[in-house]
Amino acid sequence: MADVLAEGYNVFDTGKSPSGTVKYLESPADVIGLIQSGKLGEHILLVQGGTTTFLAPALSMGAIGVITMSGAPESHLGILSREFQTPCVMTAYLTTSDSRYVVGSTDPSHFEEIAKVLDGRKVRLDCTDNEVGRIVADD
Amino acid sequence: MSALVTDKTDYDVLNVVALKKMATQQVVAAASGVGEADVGPVLARLAEQGLVVMAAGSAFPTDSAEPALADAAARLYVAVRADPGIGELVGRFELVNSQFLTTMSAWQQIDVGGRKVANDHSDSEYDDKIIGRLDKLVARLGPLLDALAGHDARFGTYPARFTAAATAVDQGRHEFVSSPTLDSVHNIWFEFHEDLLRTLGRARTE
Repeated sequence: MADVLAEGYNVFDTGKSPSGTVKYLESPADVIGLIQSGKLGEHILLVQGGTTTFLAPALSMGAIGVITMSGAPESHLGILSREFQTPCVMTAYLTTSDSRYVVGSTDPSHFEEIAKVLDGRKVRLDCTDNEVGRIVADD
Repeated sequence: MSALVTDKTDYDVLNVVALKKMATQQVVAAASGVGEADVGPVLARLAEQGLVVMAAGSAFPTDSAEPALADAAARLYVAVRADPGIGELVGRFELVNSQFLTTMSAWQQIDVGGRKVANDHSDSEYDDKIIGRLDKLVARLGPLLDALAGHDARFGTYPARFTAAATAVDQGRHEFVSSPTLDSVHNIWFEFHEDLLRTLGRARTE
């Protein structure tokens, strides 16, 4: 069975199962750089929050999959991902860690740990379940 | 030291670029009210300051754009932030915003036996109910938009945009509810929310 690295809210059910190298985007400059690189379609995009509004251009330019470490499927980013039909797992947590996101009281180390494990890793998103989205090792 | 935005036209243009995240010169001109011939030089000036970059035929905000806008907004909107009437209306907006996001999700997905499935828009009665709910939520922004427009005419452009989107929806063009590539109800609401937060110097909550 495939190794499930992380799980979170599945924003919408889809048979699409994009595969790519996780790229952690921390700022608008990271998004612009990725779009300019022409390699947007090779990456699953990881951002900290569901309120990360700078990701919108990447979705409109053809991002294949998104992972967030906080936020809810009802957020702006969730609405956008359903509109663009871009598979999206929100508030993902590592299956090997007990650390969980809690609104308003999450230590930065929670996000750093997830980014450290996932950034640069080849993964596939499994968004077939109605509630749980899974980030599966694909290397 | 970060770049300073001292000119109100520069603020309005940079604000539009930051709200839309990527925008062509024509879109910036239409949304900011700055003449199309004048937008080019303003964008060039902002690019020289490192506040926007031009790529793929569009302007994008750089990492310096948000701090520069926040700094300018703190100077430009002292009176808005001190207005108790606006403070009260904004307090009510948070609840309306949360209802809006839930309603927009209900437009995209329906509940079937406890399972969320994509709304295929075959049930016109359901869709009409959601559209009616969205109309009411947009109407509830009226007093806040009017109060803000009393301080800055920019906020007076939102009601006209909402009306245009609602008219298109009423004519059966349902993509004007939530399409991210049109001036849809969701896009206008999102931009207004972000504009409001910047004006007031507040952060978005999860």
